[in-house]
Amino acid sequence: MNSNRAHDMKLIQNSVAMTVTLISFGMLFATLFLGYFLLRFNSPTWPPVEIQNMPQLIPFLSTLVMALSSVTYYLLEKNGPQRKLMWGLTFILGLAFLALQWSLWGALKSSGILVSNGMVPSIVYGFTWLHAAHIVLGLIALLWIGCLIFMKSPSLTSFKLMNVGKFWHFLGVVWLLMYLMIFVL
Amino acid sequence: MAFVEQHIHDAPTSFWSKYLFSFDHKVIGKQFLWYGIFFLMVGGLMAMMIRWTLAYPGVPFPLIGNLLFPHTGGVVPPDTYAMLFTMHGTIMIFFAITPILIGAFGNFCIPLMIGARDMIFPTLNMLSFWFSMASGVLLLASLCLPLGAAAGGWTSYPTLSTNLGQPGMGQTLWLLSLFLFGVSSTMGAVNYITTVITLRAPGMDYFKMPLTIWGIWLTSILNAIFVPVLGAGLLLLTFDRVFGTTFFLAGAAATSGRGDPVLFQHVFWIFGHPEVYILILPAWGIVSDLLSFFARKPAFGYKMTALSLTTITVLSTVVYGHHMYTTQMSPLLTQSFMTLTMLISIPSAIFFANWLGTLWKGSIRFHSPMLFSLGVVFVFGLGGLTGLYLASTSIDLYLHDTYFVVGHFHYTMAASVLLGGFAGTYFWMPKMFGRAMNETLAKWHFWLTMIPLNGIFTGMMVVGYAGMHRRLYNPFIYEFMNKLIPINQFITYSAIAMGLAQFVFLYNFFKTIFFSKNEPLASDNPWEVGTLEWQIPSPAPHYNFKEIPHVKCGPHEFGNPNLKTGRDFQYQTEELVEVK
Amino acid sequence: MNISFSERLFGLIAEVETISTSGNRVFTFWERISPPEDISTSGHLIEWLFNYTTYVNLFWFALVCIGLFGFSYLYSQKRHKIALYTHGNEKKHLLITAFIGLGVFLSVDMVITKISTRDMKEVFWNFPEGDDVLKVQVLAQQWAWNIRYAGKDGEFNTADDVVQLNNLVVPVGRKVMIQMTSKDVIHSFYLPNARIKADAIPGRYAKLWFDTTKTGNYEIACAEMCGTHHYLMKGQLTVLSQEDYDRWLQESQELAIATNDTEDMDLRWGWKWGSR
Repeated sequence: MNSNRAHDMKLIQNSVAMTVTLISFGMLFATLFLGYFLLRFNSPTWPPVEIQNMPQLIPFLSTLVMALSSVTYYLLEKNGPQRKLMWGLTFILGLAFLALQWSLWGALKSSGILVSNGMVPSIVYGFTWLHAAHIVLGLIALLWIGCLIFMKSPSLTSFKLMNVGKFWHFLGVVWLLMYLMIFVL
Repeated sequence: MAFVEQHIHDAPTSFWSKYLFSFDHKVIGKQFLWYGIFFLMVGGLMAMMIRWTLAYPGVPFPLIGNLLFPHTGGVVPPDTYAMLFTMHGTIMIFFAITPILIGAFGNFCIPLMIGARDMIFPTLNMLSFWFSMASGVLLLASLCLPLGAAAGGWTSYPTLSTNLGQPGMGQTLWLLSLFLFGVSSTMGAVNYITTVITLRAPGMDYFKMPLTIWGIWLTSILNAIFVPVLGAGLLLLTFDRVFGTTFFLAGAAATSGRGDPVLFQHVFWIFGHPEVYILILPAWGIVSDLLSFFARKPAFGYKMTALSLTTITVLSTVVYGHHMYTTQMSPLLTQSFMTLTMLISIPSAIFFANWLGTLWKGSIRFHSPMLFSLGVVFVFGLGGLTGLYLASTSIDLYLHDTYFVVGHFHYTMAASVLLGGFAGTYFWMPKMFGRAMNETLAKWHFWLTMIPLNGIFTGMMVVGYAGMHRRLYNPFIYEFMNKLIPINQFITYSAIAMGLAQFVFLYNFFKTIFFSKNEPLASDNPWEVGTLEWQIPSPAPHYNFKEIPHVKCGPHEFGNPNLKTGRDFQYQTEELVEVK
Repeated sequence: MNISFSERLFGLIAEVETISTSGNRVFTFWERISPPEDISTSGHLIEWLFNYTTYVNLFWFALVCIGLFGFSYLYSQKRHKIALYTHGNEKKHLLITAFIGLGVFLSVDMVITKISTRDMKEVFWNFPEGDDVLKVQVLAQQWAWNIRYAGKDGEFNTADDVVQLNNLVVPVGRKVMIQMTSKDVIHSFYLPNARIKADAIPGRYAKLWFDTTKTGNYEIACAEMCGTHHYLMKGQLTVLSQEDYDRWLQESQELAIATNDTEDMDLRWGWKWGSR
């Protein structure tokens, strides 16, 4: 068995497993979106209660941050020498996203939109909580990748980088959809 | 799939790494088996208490009633009754059947039957078991809470399952426990799917896989797709209960804002209907294989069966609405769901034709696994056909939420899956633990299970048709149900008989594993079948195959008249003998 | 008729079972397993379809049993030493299985789907309208049924509304249209004698209609698990003759107006008819 073939096999295994994993995570969020549509289309008016001063700037910023972090992770995968820098940027952007979400919850609260105020606040809070929890998972994975990078561990394979990357980009896409649904449409 | 290098590691030696935190798929499979049998006993005891209450409301539960319910003098109180049927459903579905059929047989059979040395992610496999362990512990812990466990039915419809109807911690623990179970299931599913796709031995095409593997693989695909849907629903309900969101609140529960309780039903049944097939597909796979193995005849229409399994898997994802006819969805939706549901009977009928075709002109050996498989064909015939009543929107107006439904889903989900599980246990026992179980006791077990089983579930359908609805602590306060007392007592006696019959199994099982050390080990191939796992010693050695086998023919090559080996079957590693 | 045949068939069992708890009545086995008396104009549709399904199911299940037991007998190892070597992949075999699949689908499923859809469209979803329809609002709560009649003015939620607890009084032979919702958790309004039920869901209005053919007292049940005392959520359906009903309505209205308490807003749980 030559090493090229072994590499191909490993790639297939990793791709299959990661695809299935992402489908599972995807279904979790797809269910949330389905819930959103059912609530929205069964409701005579939308939003059902007048929701004022929905923060617009913070979620826009967090979308930018999320997109940027995806770019830096892409460079981390591609770029050999700047790995450490790119890893650091991605991780910091991830933390910044969490901080922005935190301030979003604060802003919502201060503008009088409380968790228990009905469908729209439930959706805003509930969905962002779940997404943020997954971001935490993603950051843990990033931290693990970072450890491997800084320790120059031989067990850091391109597959690990690829899988964590797929998860991170996936979270970015989910956030984009959430942003469009909740804050734009 | 091409050959993947799988290293042989040394077998673990310490107790911890060998029996508890093992990476070996066979040990994890056995752990799931023990886990499932334990919860089967717990759930079974609950079933007895439910049945007793239905036949003799207000009469103390015999023997242990006083111990369990000292405040009422041994009578099951109404709130406990609600907890009992909630926990019975939850435990049987998620903590008994799933671990046995998917956890135990999935883990044990997949690598052995596709010719791999282990699952592709052994660590994930171990984590999957320990997550389900944690979820089981949480569920059992909820039984000890001051306000008791969840009592909103296993479906836990809001708003009964919100803080309004279930003020205690029990419901929250139930939600968390099921969420953990979901994580464990998804981990298992990722592992199974990837293993089947990438670790098949060279030559093992998809259409050379045993049907058991087909069943388990399709189940895993459903699991990976639909368990997260339940997960999302559970999390949103948890948010409603703990953090005060209003996704599923309405009416009195919605004090400051409202959502929609029906949304939960949609989410629950989008998962819940595939779940039914998640439970039954492995049993169908096992039965399809065993019928061919013991009829000494190739599986009739093997490809058709595999494709029908796939068709059912796909159809199962688009029919969930038939659980919600009485919520009055739009007529268009209702009709579409009815039509789609009816389509399921085409692949199901093809199964039955193929199963009977396998028996036709076979040379049937009535060993215990075969008896149980034939039992599955019988009870699934009843269960499947009674589904037709419930799929029809107009009959469902009357039968919805009656005992007819209970009888129907017990036939499909409990009876056939349980019998399929027993068939598998008797069949793989020599490969799992090294010795076959006592055949005479096994046959007694079959008949003592089969006869009362039909008494119970046919009885349930009869009382359901007579109008008795579900989840009643005392049905007989309704005048029109007074005439049903004798039939309910008959069902209860049948249930007790079936419960007692399981002790035959337990005795046989424990005796074979723990008290038969002096008896010789089973031969490599006691049932004389050709799938890969029967070419290695019994019990299966630590790394299964010394050399990864090369597969050359299908799993059911029996009775080929041109065989020169003196056997009536071919191993999958042998070149197919041509007939012409 | 079935009944006489079955009575003979189950005569033996019926003789053994002589005790009955309700009112010393002796039931035959067949009576025991029959659904409660049908007092509606639409219940027979459901029963007809049920019976049709039963007969076709029995036919197909008999085929399965013939195969299962017949083949087990004929082709046991003792009687049939050498199995036939066939994979069942020949055209002939595929045609047979496909034929069976389609046979089941056409003889059972398509017929049920068609009749069921027809019944739903023509009867169960064909909600009656007009002045002769008796309109009733039902509010389910843990664990009782609140029932509201519009009263003289024909408007709901006014002072002359007749409000009943757990007692739905209807005149015989008049279409009854029910709108319902729930105060707290999901309930299901179940009339065993009319073969009909619908979920009462908080925040939604469900509807259902029926038409009675017989006077008498019947039962209303809650079919959806609604908490610990779900089993106690029993109501009564009183079917009166038109004259009795008019008399009852007159008395109840006078009583309602006399005892009307304008302060108590909890009594104003009704809603505008037809609102979503």
